[in-house]
Amino acid sequence: MNRRTVSALVGNDLRQLARNPRVLVFAVALPLVIWPLMWFLTSLTTERRQERLESRTYTYAVAEDPRDAEHAANARAWLERALAVVGEDGQADEADTPEAPAVRFERVDAPDDFKAALDEEQLHVHVAWEAGAGDGSNENVDVDSETLGNAGDPAQRIVLSYRADLDASDAAEGYLRRALERSRVEVREKRLAAAGFEAPPEDLLPLERIETASEEQTSGLLLGRILTAIIVMMMLAGGSIVATDALAGEKERGTLETLLTTAASRIEIVTAKNLSILTVAFATSVLNIANIVLWMQLDVIPAPAGLKLVIPVGAAMLLLFLYAPAAVLLSSSLLLVSGRSKTYKEAQLLFAPVMLVFLAVAAIPVLPGIALRSAIVVVPIANLGVAAREILTGQYDWPLIAAAWAVAAAAAAVLARASVRALSAEKLITASDLDAADLTGGPALFPRRVGRWFAALWALLLVWQLNAGGGIDGRLLIAINMAIFGAAAWLIIARYRLPVRETLSLRAPPPAAWLGVLIGVPAGLLLADGVVRLASLAMPIPEEWIEAMAEAFGADVPVWQTLFFFAILPGIFEEIAFRGVLLHGLRRRFGPVRLVLVAGIAFGFFHVDLFRIPGTSLLGVLLVIAVLRSGSIYPAMAWHALHNAVALGSARIEHIRLPEQPTWWHYVLATLAILAAFRLMAGPFQSRELR
Amino acid sequence: MSTVQVEVQGLSKNFFDQSRGEVNAVQQVDFECRRGEILGLLGANGAGKTTTLRMISTVLQPTSGTARVLGHDVASEPVEVRRNLGFYSASTALYPRLTARETLTLFARVNKYPAERTKSRVEEMIERFGLGEYAGVRIEKLSSGMKQKVSIARTVVHDPPVLIFDEPTVGLDVLNALDLQKAIQELREDGKAILFSTHIMSEAERLCDRIAIIDKGRLRACADLEGLRAATSRHYLEDIFVHYVTSHETPDQD
Repeated sequence: MNRRTVSALVGNDLRQLARNPRVLVFAVALPLVIWPLMWFLTSLTTERRQERLESRTYTYAVAEDPRDAEHAANARAWLERALAVVGEDGQADEADTPEAPAVRFERVDAPDDFKAALDEEQLHVHVAWEAGAGDGSNENVDVDSETLGNAGDPAQRIVLSYRADLDASDAAEGYLRRALERSRVEVREKRLAAAGFEAPPEDLLPLERIETASEEQTSGLLLGRILTAIIVMMMLAGGSIVATDALAGEKERGTLETLLTTAASRIEIVTAKNLSILTVAFATSVLNIANIVLWMQLDVIPAPAGLKLVIPVGAAMLLLFLYAPAAVLLSSSLLLVSGRSKTYKEAQLLFAPVMLVFLAVAAIPVLPGIALRSAIVVVPIANLGVAAREILTGQYDWPLIAAAWAVAAAAAAVLARASVRALSAEKLITASDLDAADLTGGPALFPRRVGRWFAALWALLLVWQLNAGGGIDGRLLIAINMAIFGAAAWLIIARYRLPVRETLSLRAPPPAAWLGVLIGVPAGLLLADGVVRLASLAMPIPEEWIEAMAEAFGADVPVWQTLFFFAILPGIFEEIAFRGVLLHGLRRRFGPVRLVLVAGIAFGFFHVDLFRIPGTSLLGVLLVIAVLRSGSIYPAMAWHALHNAVALGSARIEHIRLPEQPTWWHYVLATLAILAAFRLMAGPFQSRELR
Repeated sequence: MSTVQVEVQGLSKNFFDQSRGEVNAVQQVDFECRRGEILGLLGANGAGKTTTLRMISTVLQPTSGTARVLGHDVASEPVEVRRNLGFYSASTALYPRLTARETLTLFARVNKYPAERTKSRVEEMIERFGLGEYAGVRIEKLSSGMKQKVSIARTVVHDPPVLIFDEPTVGLDVLNALDLQKAIQELREDGKAILFSTHIMSEAERLCDRIAIIDKGRLRACADLEGLRAATSRHYLEDIFVHYVTSHETPDQD
């Protein structure tokens, strides 16, 4: 890559932008004015409203019930007491506020139709005294010298009528209700004292709360939840200013063909475009943040309560490093969208859904209870967001932070490569970029689409399993999973008119392959167990999962059902989906080593729980080799079913146990056994990849 | 001096189109272009001229066959090919918000012209194409004739030995077209190897040293005007062209 070329291209992009006053005004300057202005106006109107509510006079009326004058009098007495409290302190639940609001209540005559009066705001609260089931004449001993009516009758109550949708009425009801509640407490305490309860009520169970989270941690949680979403939003808003123009705009103006016929390589162009997008995204983000902080410092707009915008230097550096792949991911995807759009307009149209997807993913840290140590670690952006939240609250889960970074970086690399490819695509220049497979569809097209299908299937399973949770019977869960795999396989085969026999390798294996399975299963189990042990150093198996498993395979499930649901069904349907359809789709795309690794590890990733991925990936690799060696899916089906059966058996039956502490020679023996098993499997249909 | 600068052998390009299915845009085309020579590609619209030239400029990939520019293969060394190439067509636009001088500097740098000589080369181009007083004006404010001059200067600013002009006179008025032809002739004098495509007979007749007649993706003939006249016993290029195009109408059923 030539730095001079790249810097010339970046300089050109930035110059184009700097000389485009319309874009500068609408995309850069206007937001700088509008955001703080909106913030300022919001806080100003909120403040004004509060002031208005606290300084006005509210009207209330007490229902005059001619049949029950006594109760009306009771209500008035209570109210007067309560209003005395309001007079002292309108906000009853925040006692001792230094500046008591000047709320005043004014009594008006009870109107004939209090609802209409509330509607017309002649009245803010209407108070009625509703007699209960009791006859109301039951005079208890009145302990309060002020004779506050018969409060001892439990069935009687005060009814406050108000309009929640009218600001004044709603506020008046709030003040009045809190005052009534407070005076109720006071009266109750007095009566308790009079009834011989000697301890002062305030000494009864005094409650004190101590929050052990530091101010940084509380503030960090608040900030960590929203930080990623804010950064993603700002980067996208800033980046899209350049990105739309970067490829789609150049295509439309005809400068792209000029550029593509120069000596700049595709990688140099993509690098330059990404750098331009990142530069502008970064610059506008910094401008926006600095702008907001400036107005906050000037006290024009208030800082959100509880938010301390101070991040320790170490954490800030880590966050910067963490967000780096996210930034590349964002700019590459913007560039990709721009490259795939025919016109500027189309690019702008496509940016909206892309932004929504990124925002949805970036908002995942807001969801409660999502930890980095979960499947979320393999979702780019979301994983960095959750990691950032944990870092800001002082949790440093290094292996998972590294994993999240690696996943995001890998995704960024894939997208960057895709945007280089998009730039090489002939569609940029000519109307058509199709080839024979696109037109005829069918089997030739499937290898190109296999990734999309299984990515969608993975997302579907992730959403379904996260929602299914623990409340569902294990048998039902597995049956539904298998139905999803079966349906997906059928759908793909039908959609691309794939030859069933060849796709699923439905051929008779060499007879020795069955012996190979018998040797391979125990050896494979031992190796998988070793991998799980190794992985558990970084990712311990959660206790809850072991408990849930024990429950699922508990003694109340008959053995035949356990075998059917957890060994035979996966042995058939997972093999059809993964060693059948997936393997068939990937075969023409990779050489033998990568084919085995990709197809095997993809299978591991479908086991959503993180700690299960390493072990199941190994099983996937072994099963892929079994299919490729024997040319048939049947040994892999038998292997898979037996593997699951023995693994389950070792959990239930004492006699089937893996060595408690395997030593190195256990693993050497197992590896040799696996190699021998694969040797036995070689037959006439062995795939040419492994010959 | 008859050094071969561009060498095309068995070049083919197939497209796939939603409505027409497989389209053989270019089939088995062979030709070469030497130093100081203008090779004209003459063909009707849609004959495959632009596709051929785009394959040579590495923007499109050949389905089969090879093309070499100064010995560099378009498939395996695209950057080297483009470094030795200037590509001009009616669809290669300029950045409207750059000035002529900035445009030339940008393309000299992007085409990896030696840094220390860039500045003097840009000034040389400004003088040669008479851009002097407008060199500091943004392209968007220039007349179409001036834009065209900047465009040619842009094409040759990195001093490439091979130049491709793909239907450069499309949409130009007569005077501008003549100016352009003059510029191209001067570039030939400089020793450039020039590929020039057109569907205008008079232009090909006046400008080209040799003419390659392309029809339905196939090369029907490639010779100088005298050679074509001798082969077809027709005098006017128009008649020669019609002869080649019509005589192949029937056997094109393979």
